[in-house]
Amino acid sequence: MARFDISIPKESRQRAWWIWIGTLLVLLSIGAMGAIRVFVKGLQVTGLSDQVPWGLWITQDLSSIATGAGAFTFSAVVYLFRIKKYQPIARAAVFVGFIGYSSAMLALALDIGRPDRFWHPLVFWNVHSVLWEITWCVILYSIVLVLELLPMLFETKYFSRWPKLKTYGETIHKASPVFAAIGLVLSLLHQSSLGATYGVLSGRAIWYKPSLPVMFILSAVAGGIAMTLLLTILVGKLNNRQIISRQLQYDISRFAGFAMLAYLYLKLWDWAATSYYSHSPGATQALALLQSTTPYTQTFWWIEILLGGVVPAIILLNPRLRRNDRYSMLALGLIVVGVTMNRWNVTLSGLVAPPQWSPGVLGRVLAASYLPTWNEIIVSIGIIAYALLAFSFGVKYLQIFPQNEEAAH
Amino acid sequence: MTSNTQSEEKKNRKGKKPLVSRKEFLQIAGSTGAATIITQLISSGPLSPEAIKGIGERTHPFAEGESKHTWCMIIDLSTCIGCQYCVWACQATNDVPEDEMRWNIGYPERTESGTDFFMTRPCLHCQEAPCVKVCPVGATWIRKDGIVTMDYNRCIGCRYCQVACPYDVRRFNWKPSSAENPYHPTWGTPEIDRRARGVVEKCTFCSHRIDRGLEQGLTPGVDREATPACVNICPVNARIFGDHNDPDSPLSIFVRENETFRLREDFGTEPKVHYVRPEKEEI
Repeated sequence: MARFDISIPKESRQRAWWIWIGTLLVLLSIGAMGAIRVFVKGLQVTGLSDQVPWGLWITQDLSSIATGAGAFTFSAVVYLFRIKKYQPIARAAVFVGFIGYSSAMLALALDIGRPDRFWHPLVFWNVHSVLWEITWCVILYSIVLVLELLPMLFETKYFSRWPKLKTYGETIHKASPVFAAIGLVLSLLHQSSLGATYGVLSGRAIWYKPSLPVMFILSAVAGGIAMTLLLTILVGKLNNRQIISRQLQYDISRFAGFAMLAYLYLKLWDWAATSYYSHSPGATQALALLQSTTPYTQTFWWIEILLGGVVPAIILLNPRLRRNDRYSMLALGLIVVGVTMNRWNVTLSGLVAPPQWSPGVLGRVLAASYLPTWNEIIVSIGIIAYALLAFSFGVKYLQIFPQNEEAAH
Repeated sequence: MTSNTQSEEKKNRKGKKPLVSRKEFLQIAGSTGAATIITQLISSGPLSPEAIKGIGERTHPFAEGESKHTWCMIIDLSTCIGCQYCVWACQATNDVPEDEMRWNIGYPERTESGTDFFMTRPCLHCQEAPCVKVCPVGATWIRKDGIVTMDYNRCIGCRYCQVACPYDVRRFNWKPSSAENPYHPTWGTPEIDRRARGVVEKCTFCSHRIDRGLEQGLTPGVDREATPACVNICPVNARIFGDHNDPDSPLSIFVRENETFRLREDFGTEPKVHYVRPEKEEI
């Protein structure tokens, strides 16, 4: 089989870099203009309604946090469980995690009606609210991520004029196991609680189940590993070098595959227990409504389960397939797509098919609908452009990857 | 602990491999200690459910102490003629100019046996309100008298309460509301401030009337000045409001003597709005 080569020739790298950065800057500017429009006109410019108050941005927020979960996974694996062979990818994971969390915060800042009051959860406590707990965990964990990033920043040429900073950075780096432990606890809490956001709502049968928090954390681990590894392989391919050793790449691929398998196993039982072996009138009614008014069957079974779960699990767990970079990149990309699709499906399903409370027969056929407006879409694209820009600059100016083959082993 | 480590050191010096090394011992002792402390904190200590209960609610007026009252409403669907006066009076009194923002909605319905009736629905003021539980800042809370109400100055507009409410009760201010109120003055006069863009709003059982009325020694549900606008305006008395704790209130007497139901009791939300079946007369 032909070698999978998408590397950019050395002489045109400069040009390609500027085209790439230029495109992203244009997209970012368009997104920023969209964001300004949201702040000026309010959330009326979205397709959201009182029946479907959460949509594209909440999906983006949940997906960014899920695909940023590589940070806590690899930090825990390397610094807490001391499995040192994964060390070469830990920095990239932390960096991708930081980008994921900052993207989520951008999406959230736009999504809440009063961004000027974003600090309220810190002052006004409602400990009964999973969202309160999530807010605290996400803020604290973002601080952990920044602290984990600082050493990378202090090593750069720019900061070399203050040599003390580098020493501070090294001191911070020595505390990595502590950050890994705190990060693990915070992440386990909020990644699961994001599922509990829906799972605790007794009024919406399609959501109300204890499996949602566990499915969210498992899919986040799979998605986080996949995102980190995919970007690592991609950067390597474009620069025509093997960033991490092939053996390590295969090991991480298998790791992602097993995480996906565990997630699929839970999902299988979640489906079997709630829809196959039992009958819940509320959930059945909601599903019927979804199937008759939305492409839910396709987005769930075909995209989320088959394309985003089963196919990548097979590729990554098969030794021959995962050794083929083309297939393994495809599989990792599909996991990211599948996890994102899952967040969309979960968020929209409970809202588009609302519980039927009307005591008559006429009110029972009501289904809500939602379609993102162009304003929502350009803002989302803008946030993705921010994420890609931040990653590109990180790759170019920070040492997020091991610099030579030796360090990669 | 000191004696333990000393004895371990002795063993080490003798050259025998200890059962547990000092490092391992400290790790085990440390993690056991930490686990004990954490367990204590969350079971009976300062982080226990009892200790942190209502931490966000304590700062609210009316949330402290006990109230003698529990305000409830009855909506008699067999009496209702579907005039929508209650819908409009609510919009005038609570200054809700846009129809899509209605706190108290009304629409034609039909029973399974084919009887047409008119369904109206204010906030049900659930005793186990999902919206109160989920609010990350405690901007929605339940008063001791059972009314679920909001602090519009605290709300951050995350809309989790809308996601949590199974009865579609809550309304978000998607845009600034500057429209003339078309229901004023025909159906009443605004008695509360209009809400700002970016916050959620909801029916309050006209709590401003109840609070002011009680101060003046009036009885909500009996004296008009202390009774929700939707109850007052009803031309056929299909809505009854009153104190469920007072056995002699018209509401309590009605609940005792008539069969009522609440919307989707299986949600476990314990609503405080009771309905009378539309087919009552026919049975």
